[in-house]
Amino acid sequence: MKYICQVCGYVYDEASEACPFDQLPDSWQCPWCKAPKTQFKPEQDEAPADAAADLAGADIGADDADSLKQLSPGQLAALCTNLARGCEKQYKAEESKLFAELAAYFTAAVPPAEDASVEALAEQLQDEISLYPATRAAADAAGDRGAARALVWGEKVSRMLSSLVTRYLEEGEAMLEGTEIWICTACGFVYIGETPPELCPVCKVPSWKFEKIEGRR
Amino acid sequence: MEKFAVRNVRLCTKDCLCLFVCPTGATDTENSVIDTDKCIGCGACAEACPSAAISMVPTIYPIPLPKEDSVVTAMNRLSAKKAEEEAAAGKLAETADRDGLYRLMKAVERSIRLSNADVLRESGYLLPQGDEAVRLLKDWLWNPPAADFPKETAEKLAELMGVKD
Repeated sequence: MKYICQVCGYVYDEASEACPFDQLPDSWQCPWCKAPKTQFKPEQDEAPADAAADLAGADIGADDADSLKQLSPGQLAALCTNLARGCEKQYKAEESKLFAELAAYFTAAVPPAEDASVEALAEQLQDEISLYPATRAAADAAGDRGAARALVWGEKVSRMLSSLVTRYLEEGEAMLEGTEIWICTACGFVYIGETPPELCPVCKVPSWKFEKIEGRR
Repeated sequence: MEKFAVRNVRLCTKDCLCLFVCPTGATDTENSVIDTDKCIGCGACAEACPSAAISMVPTIYPIPLPKEDSVVTAMNRLSAKKAEEEAAAGKLAETADRDGLYRLMKAVERSIRLSNADVLRESGYLLPQGDEAVRLLKDWLWNPPAADFPKETAEKLAELMGVKD
């Protein structure tokens, strides 16, 4: 049996490993991306049977669709960040700076998250992850491979975040003592370790694209 | 000029063939950035560079393909969720009293912002000069989203991007 990492695609092939997957300790991590054992799924030849149910979830009522057109300040902030990055890539430094200013304006306009807790954030991430099959179905139905690509990366990045937040709830500060947190500046993948990985396990950019998350100054 | 040359300093190995072939001296600068005022877009530097550190970039980009409504709606639902998570992680970082929690929440906040920017990019905002982005910019100029919206910033952008009424 083969088991596939849902974050980076690493294959744990029992045929070439000494230990059956089930008998690996719970603390075992993906050798490439350090995702926990729970992020591994047995390899399947066919699409899962609940694909039809996933598709049904893609149906968004007309009222909901209308309200979804109105982007929240947080969405507008991320949108301006995207446009700033788009200008930067075209060597338009001044435009990039101005879009970044608008992103900062919208970020400041986001209403404060009053009841935020790490437990609630873990649930929010789980809810988000459950949206991917239906969103992907919409992209596939439209033949939109650009959207499909963003969804593949987004799901992997969020699965990693979800497993890190869950681990923090279980282990607390001990999880992060004496170690660094790295972020891929291309896709947002987060990695815990002394040094960043040689290649981003999600989007495959080289290690110099990673930045260290600094503590409070 | 339909194209101009840009140098990726990280790839540049200082073989300097670009300096030898450039007819206008645009590639010879004190800060390694090719002078766009002097560049005539001939592409000689990009062809001569042994490290493939110079690429020719168009001045006008093609219009991206339009997005299906069904895709935009589904992507917006995901994006709204991500924006809520980012705000929660930001709040948790702000109020964190331990170093590990602070760093983890900062990482989550930044990560979500990056992936949400990517989701929105693929919801019709691939190109800053594309139809959707220009429509949004015009909308902000005519109907500022709030009284404290920095209208001058949007006006400067519109001017630089050549957005007209």
